[in-house]
Amino acid sequence: MSPFIDGIMAILEPTVMLCIGAGVIIGMLVGMFPGITATMAVALASSFTMTLEPVQGLAVLLTIYVAANFGDRIPSILINTPGTPASIATTFDGYPMAKNGQAGLALIVSALVSAIGIIASMVLFSTASVPLAQLALKFGPSEMFAVVILAMTIMISISSKSIAKGLLAGVIGLFIATIGRDPITGDARFTFGIRDLNSGLDFIAVIIGLFGIAELLDQLLTHRPHEVKPISALGRWWPTKDEYKRIAKPTGIAALVGLVVGIIPGAGGDIAGLLGWDRAKAASKTKASFGKGNIEGIAAADTASSATLGGSLTTTMALGIPGDSVMAVMIGSMIVWGIQPGPSLFVNQPSLVVTITALMVLATMITLAINLVRMPMMVKLLDMPVHYIWTTVLVFCLVGTYATTNNMFTVSIMLIFGVIGLVLKRCGIPASPIVLGLILGPLAESNLRRSLLIDGPAGLVNKPISATLLTLACIAIVVALSAPILARRRARQAKAPL
Amino acid sequence: MAEQEKLAASSGGVKALPDEPAGDEHQPASPSRRMEIATASVALALALLALVLSRNIHLRMGGGGLDPKWWPTLLSSAAIALSTVLLCFSIFAQTVRRDDLESSHRDGWVRMLSALALSALYVFAWWTTGYLVATALYLVALLWLFGLRSWKGLIIFPLVTTAFIYGLFQILLKVPL
Repeated sequence: MSPFIDGIMAILEPTVMLCIGAGVIIGMLVGMFPGITATMAVALASSFTMTLEPVQGLAVLLTIYVAANFGDRIPSILINTPGTPASIATTFDGYPMAKNGQAGLALIVSALVSAIGIIASMVLFSTASVPLAQLALKFGPSEMFAVVILAMTIMISISSKSIAKGLLAGVIGLFIATIGRDPITGDARFTFGIRDLNSGLDFIAVIIGLFGIAELLDQLLTHRPHEVKPISALGRWWPTKDEYKRIAKPTGIAALVGLVVGIIPGAGGDIAGLLGWDRAKAASKTKASFGKGNIEGIAAADTASSATLGGSLTTTMALGIPGDSVMAVMIGSMIVWGIQPGPSLFVNQPSLVVTITALMVLATMITLAINLVRMPMMVKLLDMPVHYIWTTVLVFCLVGTYATTNNMFTVSIMLIFGVIGLVLKRCGIPASPIVLGLILGPLAESNLRRSLLIDGPAGLVNKPISATLLTLACIAIVVALSAPILARRRARQAKAPL
Repeated sequence: MAEQEKLAASSGGVKALPDEPAGDEHQPASPSRRMEIATASVALALALLALVLSRNIHLRMGGGGLDPKWWPTLLSSAAIALSTVLLCFSIFAQTVRRDDLESSHRDGWVRMLSALALSALYVFAWWTTGYLVATALYLVALLWLFGLRSWKGLIIFPLVTTAFIYGLFQILLKVPL
């Protein structure tokens, strides 16, 4: 059979449909509750999807990824609090619209443009991932090492407030990845005679600790009881013909922004949403009303952040480099299922491109339908007391981690990394580069050592591709270092008397 | 707030966001030079420890060149350099703003540390008494700690959640609990 038919047939099984249904419910719920991010949910779900077939597991995780992208808009619009960082820009016009009695309209427009953004990004994924993977197949050890370094530097330069702290986090992740057996000689490193450490630290336990437990502990530490009642007057739901025309242009602009940002490793929906909103505002005839409840603003913000999903998937699946923190977590699960994301994946399993595209599109359509039909019911869920959410997350983190290895040692590691994650967060050291370092560490080490053994240090800079990628990595760091300096200088110039 | 600054920087320093920030209840953590110095010092100490441990990795077939010690040594050296830079910044540069973090408070510390202690106790209890009893009691304790006082909630929620997790993992996914 052709890869296309194989790919489609794989998702038509009843169990896969059941997994999609579970993913939609989990994703919508985690998206809706502020503080529970898609990364945290995918990390948690990784534990109970490990025993599933790869397509079933992918169905759960990818659907959570999609559905959280819809669910997180609801609290942004109704209580001015982003459900996840990807919906920060949604609050700019979503909440003012809700205050103006247009909450229903904002929710429906948000759902529609989110679906458009994801579908557009999946067109990019389905057309660009195989050519990109074929190009990457020509890479030798020096090029692969350079790709890893570029991915890490871009993620660090984008996701870190302090470059030094971001780089330190990346180095910590790479160092943690050395625990266990050496990838070439098999010598034990930092195992201290503990047999459970021979195969290294469990990915999922570390990820659940850093993203799940650490986030929850931070909430327990900082939460203050306050009454934020969701806006209950939802107004009309569907846009008029004129409003559809108004949102067309910002949706188009923001989709382009989202597609470009999505391809960049480490840059996610939060950055795309802000940039998309900003670019749409610049191009709008009604820019004065942006931030005050402009329907174009919400369309731009949500299209841009949703359009990053396909780009993130492309770099993850075609290069083995996580496109965002959710994808970093997902790579960990895929490795457990025996799927190694990277250039050879789509060459060996071309039907997987079709399966992933079909899963994402189907998940988008189902979530959109639920959003359009059951929105009033979902709004009521925002009233759920926080003690039930905290308790559920905590117990799922513990039981889910145990399920990955049936070993309490793994649970202890997860709790330890939860505390480490909290300390790092309070100290301003980001967790994403640590996870990226942990996942890409073995790839970086083995390729660097091979490259140095074959060609010596000159091999890294003599080959055009690796030299270009390493130069780009240096540029990413220099740009990130110079951006705040330039911004301060511009601010001083703007303040200076004429 | 950090994203707002990031966008402002990327858009030529012009603040491109609306006046009303997200989240009315945001109480940002205050900047602390002492914390920055402590962070950098601990990072430096741990990096030095990592370097010592890296040099002491036992090799079965002799060392030299690109042996298994080489990569960890390189990484710990990089960590030492970065921690030193951080320490210098923490002492001499302007204190870093922490607007993106909520400030902690005494009740929060009690809640967080109690939840951690309960979780550690739960791991031990699960190991000794089995999943069902340990989980139900753990959930009751957590709900009480987080402020629930309704007896219905304290009984029904733990029982339903314990049974749901048992059904999901033990029965559906065949993971022995």
